[in-house]
Amino acid sequence: MSWTLMDKCCPKCWHNPPSNPCPKYIECRIKGPLCHDSSECRKLRARRLNELMFGRHGIKVRVALASCTLAVGAADVYYAVQEFVRESGLAVDVDIVGCHGLDFIDPWIEVVKKGLPPAIYANVNPEEVSNIVSSYLSGDVSKAFAIKYRTGTAKGEFLVPTLDELEFWRKQVRLVGRNCGIINPESIEEYVARGGYLGLVRAIKKSPDEVIEEIRLAKLRGRGGAGFPTWIKWKAVKDQVSDVKYVVANAEEGDPSAFSNRLLIESDPFIVIEGMIIAGYVTGANKGYIFVGAEFDLAAERLKKAVEEARKYGLLGDNVLGSGFSFDVEVFQDAGRYTSGEETALLEEIEGKRSSPRVRPPYPVSRGLWGKPTVVNNVETLAHAAVIVREGWDRYATIGAEKSGGTKMVSVSGSVRRPGVYEVPIGTSVKTIIDGLAGGPPEGVKLKAIEVGGPAGGFLPASEMDVPLDYDELLKLGVAMGSGILIAIDEHKCIVDLVRQFMVFFVSESCGKCVPCRVGTREMLEILNRICCGEGGQEDLELLQELGETLKNASFCALGSGAPIPVLSTIRYFREEYLTHIREKRCPADTCPVSREVVRYEG
Amino acid sequence: MRGNVRVRVDGTEVEVDPKSVLLDAIKKAGVAMHSFCQAGEIYRGASCRLCLVELPNGKLVPACAFPVSDGLEVRTRTAKTLRVRRSTLELLLAYHRIECWACMRKGDCVLVKMATDLRLDGIPVCAECPLHPEECLLSKGILCLGPLTLAGCDAECPATSGRCWGCRGPVTREDIVVRALKRYMELGFNIGEVVETAEIFWSAHPFLEKIKLVTRGV
Ligand SMILES: Cc1cc2nc3c(=O)[nH]c(=O)nc-3n(C[C@H](O)[C@H](O)[C@H](O)COP(=O)(O)O)c2cc1C
Ligand code: SF4
Ligand code: SF4
Ligand code: SF4
Ligand code: SF4
Ligand code: SF4
Ligand code: FES
Ligand code: FES
Repeated sequence: MSWTLMDKCCPKCWHNPPSNPCPKYIECRIKGPLCHDSSECRKLRARRLNELMFGRHGIKVRVALASCTLAVGAADVYYAVQEFVRESGLAVDVDIVGCHGLDFIDPWIEVVKKGLPPAIYANVNPEEVSNIVSSYLSGDVSKAFAIKYRTGTAKGEFLVPTLDELEFWRKQVRLVGRNCGIINPESIEEYVARGGYLGLVRAIKKSPDEVIEEIRLAKLRGRGGAGFPTWIKWKAVKDQVSDVKYVVANAEEGDPSAFSNRLLIESDPFIVIEGMIIAGYVTGANKGYIFVGAEFDLAAERLKKAVEEARKYGLLGDNVLGSGFSFDVEVFQDAGRYTSGEETALLEEIEGKRSSPRVRPPYPVSRGLWGKPTVVNNVETLAHAAVIVREGWDRYATIGAEKSGGTKMVSVSGSVRRPGVYEVPIGTSVKTIIDGLAGGPPEGVKLKAIEVGGPAGGFLPASEMDVPLDYDELLKLGVAMGSGILIAIDEHKCIVDLVRQFMVFFVSESCGKCVPCRVGTREMLEILNRICCGEGGQEDLELLQELGETLKNASFCALGSGAPIPVLSTIRYFREEYLTHIREKRCPADTCPVSREVVRYEG
Repeated sequence: MRGNVRVRVDGTEVEVDPKSVLLDAIKKAGVAMHSFCQAGEIYRGASCRLCLVELPNGKLVPACAFPVSDGLEVRTRTAKTLRVRRSTLELLLAYHRIECWACMRKGDCVLVKMATDLRLDGIPVCAECPLHPEECLLSKGILCLGPLTLAGCDAECPATSGRCWGCRGPVTREDIVVRALKRYMELGFNIGEVVETAEIFWSAHPFLEKIKLVTRGV
């Protein structure tokens, strides 16, 4: 293999982890060499950076390979590109890249040639590949979906927008997602070439307390659902006296309709690992686990690869970059259960037990994995931490809402023209995301509600769409931010039926440990089934509310206390729809069994 | 008492070991408390949610698992705790196969104690009856209405003077009624006679009609 940016530039480089690591190793990758002066070594770097951009021969085709694109045939596109290269005999590098989060352009490829604007082609099918690439190479970009920047050299260039001219790109603030769809998720080199691991470098030059202070000033709150201030968690673990501590990254992402964590770890696994190392350094933990959802095979594979590479270059292991601090990471793939994402159930599962939540307190910060102090953070939270340390809290805190800094990757689906993952400042209005970024509903369709935060989030009526996407503001309306899910619901959907489907989800995912959730979800489903079948009575609404209050107050963990939120929020905002089912024995959207023959779900 | 912490339970201050849980403090304060899952040998940690107590901020926490701390204040019988506990117990009982007449827990059943305290009906007198299943009046051929009658009297009659006449009114849960009637039949009682006996106290109760209906199905 040829020389990569991660390798020693010449025998003068003494970086030799773990026995003799060079503290400047990361900075030296791009700016180097730092300890000696050699134009040869500088040229080596410049040449390699150029290669990463345009390939070894000046032409590169990148194929987006992530679960989302693979689901719509990206693998065939990849083979088609390879075949094209083989048959044409052209010297073209074919590379993989993660995903931008623009679901509606999948599968997509990017073609780059020196001197031409890098062009992104959308909804590519394998048969078109040779046409697309040939016409691009002949200097014609008119068929592209977008180009990255203008060079003024290509034919049809002015028919095609640059990414930044597209509203749904320009209006995003891509902090944690800045590498998604840009770098090869299997190459640590590309991550480092884009400033990766500089956050870690900055962190270990500071004291743990200084880093915690930065995280505090950045107003970072956990992206896993509850929005807990991250600095408090980190400080609590740091202040514990214990020789063993752990950092656990939560990449379970069990919420149906959430896909932003998956996108992040499939497209940029490195940033999560960097965040974990920083968390480890700050809290005094030497071991980290990444808890990956059962369905996320590709993500787990990429994380494992990223861990291996980080070890190889001395970013994990003993004496990280000469700081004296040691840290290692293990990727743990779970058995696939919704409660596994709960922070204590997840610890149980890593310990090899049944993944039911533990009694809290004690919280994981004092008694976590194997009884040791443990930080459990969502992967996106950790990625944000890496960004904050790299960019500085002052820049970060200017983005976002008053009490909650930075951005959130939001998974938008449902009745919108451009479903996908969008990274926006916290506090951006739901309307801006749905209409501005995701393009609003298709022609002729009207939205009636937005489901916010996934199954335990809640429904907002379309009239409340101006609410900022912010933990506190949403709670005021009785819905929760959750993991940043927005599902646009149009008038052809029945709210009661959607709520019922969420309840089916809770019934099957309840771990069965505590009474209110185990039995209460079933009872609530029974009532919802009744209503959808036209057998509901007026008193059923009160019954639902009463049960809902019980689940909210008495459940052991947040699955049970979140389960009634869709019901409660829709009884609040869409009471009429329930009443139509109950009184008029009619489903306004005409989708419920009440207007059809049905199979009843018997709990 | 060095090192102990002070906890206020419904206004009464008690001193307890810092390692104890709220339930210990509540017991020490002499306050009667509901609890279920921590009572047996197979404690799985705060899973029944029947011992919930209220903190000053309105949050409900399980007394059996919540650690004490100095100055902690709890209320055990607020409207909210009772409402939530009642509803939770109702859920717990909803899937419970109630056959108290043949149950090893009868005579000393926590469920029936909590149910009567929380004004929940659904459990028959047999649950409170101290007679061992083998001494049950039914096995002696005496028509006791215990299996069909709401508990709450501490099985006053079978415990002292003889059979239950059903003065507290009928259990209305259909599955229990069906099982109870089956039990009568197994032991050779005439269902017509059972219904006649029940009419003494329940003649005006709409449920008797339902029993008659059920009987036809048995
Ligand atoms: C039923 C349930 C499922 C959860 N699933 C996830 C999940 O998939 N991913 C996640 O990050 N947090 C999940 N959480 C939240 C975690 O318990 C925990 O709060 C979070 O990982 C903390 O990270 P943060 O502080 O970075 O937000 C779940 C919580 C519950 C109650
Ligand atoms: S500064 Fe460090 S990494 Fe760079 S050449 Fe010198 S020893 Fe190697
Ligand atoms: S609330 Fe549901 S998921 Fe959570 S412990 Fe109870 S039964 Fe399990
Ligand atoms: S006595 Fe009755 S209520 Fe109590 S456990 Fe036995 S069957 Fe259940
Ligand atoms: S004596 Fe009566 S109350 Fe007691 S167990 Fe028998 S039937 Fe039930
Ligand atoms: S007759 Fe009345 S008091 Fe006597 S056992 Fe039956 S219900 Fe209780
Ligand atoms: S396009 Fe990749 S997440 Fe959808
Ligand atoms: S006794 Fe069951 S939760 Fe406390």
